[in-house]
Amino acid sequence: MSTIPEYYKIVEEVFEKYKDKEFLFVGRHTQRWDSIEKIKGRALFTADFARLYSNLVYVHSVRTKYAHARIKSIDVSEASKYPGVLRVITAEDIPGINDVGYVIPDQPLIADRKVRYIGDIVALVVAENPLVAREAGELISVEYEPLPVITNPLDVVDLMTLKEKPHTLVHDERGSDILVHYKIRRGDIEKAMREADVKVEGVYKTPFQEHAYMEPEASIAIPEPDGSVTVIASTQCPFDVRKAVAKVLGLTLNKVRIVVPAVGGGFGGKEDVANEVAAKAALAAVLTGRPALAVHTREESIIGHSKRHPMIAWYRHAAKKDGTLVAVEANVVMDGGAYASLGPFVPWRATVHATGPYKVQSARVDVVRVYTNNVYTGAFRGFGNPQVIFAVERQMDLLAEELGMDPVELRLKNILRVGDETVHGQKLTEEHGVGLEEAVMKAVEASNWFELRRRYSEITGPVRKGIGIALFYHGNSIGVEGADYSSVTLIINRDGSVSIRTGLTEFGQGSTWGLALIAAEILGVPPSYFKIENPDTSATPDAGPTVASRATVMGGAATVVAAYKLRKRLNEVASHILGCDPDDVVIRAPDVYCSSDPSRRTRWADVVEQSFWLGVPLQEFGYYRAPRALWDEETGQGAPYITYTFGAIVADVDVDIETGLVKVNKIFTAYDIGKVINRMGAELNAEGGAIQALGYALMEEIIHDKEGRVSNPNLSTYYVPTIKDVPEIIPLWVEAKYRKGPLGAKGFGEPSFNAVAAAIANAVAHAIRANVTELPITPERVYMLLKNKQKT
Amino acid sequence: MSEVGASRASWNTYRDVEVSFKVNGKEVRVRVKPYERLLDVLRNKLGLLSVKEGCGRGECGSCVVIMNGKLIPTCLTLAVRAEGSEILTLEGIAPEGKLHAIQKALLDTYSMQCGFCFPGVIMASKYLLDKNPDPTEDEIRDALDGNICRCGSYLRFIKAVKLASKYIKEGKVFFDESEVLR
Repeated sequence: MSTIPEYYKIVEEVFEKYKDKEFLFVGRHTQRWDSIEKIKGRALFTADFARLYSNLVYVHSVRTKYAHARIKSIDVSEASKYPGVLRVITAEDIPGINDVGYVIPDQPLIADRKVRYIGDIVALVVAENPLVAREAGELISVEYEPLPVITNPLDVVDLMTLKEKPHTLVHDERGSDILVHYKIRRGDIEKAMREADVKVEGVYKTPFQEHAYMEPEASIAIPEPDGSVTVIASTQCPFDVRKAVAKVLGLTLNKVRIVVPAVGGGFGGKEDVANEVAAKAALAAVLTGRPALAVHTREESIIGHSKRHPMIAWYRHAAKKDGTLVAVEANVVMDGGAYASLGPFVPWRATVHATGPYKVQSARVDVVRVYTNNVYTGAFRGFGNPQVIFAVERQMDLLAEELGMDPVELRLKNILRVGDETVHGQKLTEEHGVGLEEAVMKAVEASNWFELRRRYSEITGPVRKGIGIALFYHGNSIGVEGADYSSVTLIINRDGSVSIRTGLTEFGQGSTWGLALIAAEILGVPPSYFKIENPDTSATPDAGPTVASRATVMGGAATVVAAYKLRKRLNEVASHILGCDPDDVVIRAPDVYCSSDPSRRTRWADVVEQSFWLGVPLQEFGYYRAPRALWDEETGQGAPYITYTFGAIVADVDVDIETGLVKVNKIFTAYDIGKVINRMGAELNAEGGAIQALGYALMEEIIHDKEGRVSNPNLSTYYVPTIKDVPEIIPLWVEAKYRKGPLGAKGFGEPSFNAVAAAIANAVAHAIRANVTELPITPERVYMLLKNKQKT
Repeated sequence: MSEVGASRASWNTYRDVEVSFKVNGKEVRVRVKPYERLLDVLRNKLGLLSVKEGCGRGECGSCVVIMNGKLIPTCLTLAVRAEGSEILTLEGIAPEGKLHAIQKALLDTYSMQCGFCFPGVIMASKYLLDKNPDPTEDEIRDALDGNICRCGSYLRFIKAVKLASKYIKEGKVFFDESEVLR
């Protein structure tokens, strides 16, 4: 495998060719292909398909009464006899393997031996009517032997030693409740700490966060005549759902077809739970021979799907008098809840980013993820990075205070620039695109940082003002988590319209539209000619999961490859028609002409028609695989990601010190995402990510009681920002292009969330002159901070 | 065995009731169970799928429609309450092939993310503009406070409602769909 794959050459060649050109479609505001159907309310989301099936059955999940218990027996006889009930399904009815674990097989679809959290399912009731199914579910009697419930991760592991404590194991079959332990070892940490001029340390906590996508989880499964099953599913990752369903049903992959219609939000949450819901519907469909709908209520959604990992972290930073960062030490404990979910990967991303976007000469980082009886935690926009950013950026502000430096000055002294090495020893070059400094300068200038920082420091009275900054970097795509590939099929139809087929999914973020814009630019065909087909495992190619801010970068690269090859062929056909050199052909559909002599022209439709009769294929498959990432398990040294997105956030807040209420006035978001592909998508992510992170900073927290029950399982008790909470958001862009990315693009889905909460926290700390160490910053917490400050 | 389940009359035992009302200008007559929600009847019996269920508890605004001039959550409204009423859903807001000014404005402001909350947001905006043709930013925030958009297009909604207000004042209530996609 020493030869360089063709697709690398194509992506770089296209980058070089376009890097100084003015784009027609890329980076511009465009209307998505699905705009009209969505604005008219005609777009169909999964549950909307239920109406198409007259003999539909409904699947109700009967959930455990205890968060931790052994199941001694289960009696479903009463429920099975209940009028209208077609079938009650328990673990022993599963034809394949009873597991829906996303990364490791630790999560039964239906609990058999024990239950580990309050959302665990003990049986499924399938009935003609959803209310009857629920009613019959109440007749199922389960004999439990309750076990001690662990809701505090520090009952599993000690924060300072990271040693496991004796406790009743959540996963007794594994022999340990520590799922993973990742490390960074760089330089001589003892010596660096000894020789440093100043040190700051602190313990930081972040909460469980709920995705609260507006469309609750849903799947409809249709049994097919050949024994296969089709599932319409609300998911980010159709090919992962296919694998999970096939496993549960004991079918080969080609006997399971997953179709993804419009999806009402995901944010990382519709990765693994989609597998569970699809498997429930598929099981019911196969066992009853009828189409089956499984849809979660909002409460089921909140108690029954993954959350953002809560973090408890101890950090120590050391610096020289001039502000040079010399050492960072960190112990990070992440609460995994009952199952692994994406837990083998989230703490890894947290580890990689654990020291922030700074040059760090010496570092010792240990990150563990433990099992508890809380709702399990997994992927959520940012994937472990927002948690450590909060800790690191609070530490940076403490350090600035200790050194008597401005927070911006301290950061500028230490940020990563071209030529610097990351804490993993990865050298950042021009090729990566490193625009952090420019982002900082833009955010600082737009926000009038220096003047406001000084002015706000002098404010007294009941309403205080604060301004805070936070920086981040974010590794693009999945790094060493797995095979990092993507693929796209481009099809020019006989009438000149274009279809894009990819297993990457659209769930609001707009990244697949970015693929259309890339193809439009390279082919010379306006975006209005394009349609992105729904992901369908029987029709669209496997493009890997739609996660990790990878769709634009990875799917975009595959699109570049396919569009480049198609364009080459089209130019030859046009050259044949027009009689000029293929390199001289300009396609600007509906027109095609010779650059040297624009009077020699033809129509796009004619070029397409000619291609058809000449036997020139009008379909092309594009594949791209990321260069291999490197990571040494013992030292955390290597090159963990292909490139990084950078950003600087400034938040401007008011804090009412009588009520404790924080009001965010403005958020300046300066992002280096390389070449902006989908302008509308980028702006909406910048705003939407900031709003979701504002919720994380100020109000969002899933609370478990000591029995492991969720105290706020609906939207009137779990608060998310409404239109009344939203401040002015000022998006600023830096385009430090990633030369190996599609037209220089980097990823942006997750980064738009990353550092906003940390910036708000720093602004609040500035306003009230107290040390904010915990999110969310509720009025109660502000009150306690002020009260404790008075005491000391 | 669960005592709750045993002591309660089953959903199976209720008989159908006939309900007549007007939806999007059309008279309809449907047979419903007395416990059925208007949400389910609009969606399943009448095929008005723009009415979305986001929470089932009146907390998210995805299922709101205009009934007798009022904005109501259909998930908290029994279908039998619709008797004799006039209901407007997103499907009835503009003629075939046309977009209402609010829809046009939402596209003009590039506000589309997942789109699940949009039917509710559009109906709440329509309700606002019907009562108050020239709302201030604060009035728009008050009017849309019950509509959760987790993708976070809120700032665009404010711009869009203002733009729609302008369009309507200029007499431009409907637009051709083809004007948008170019």
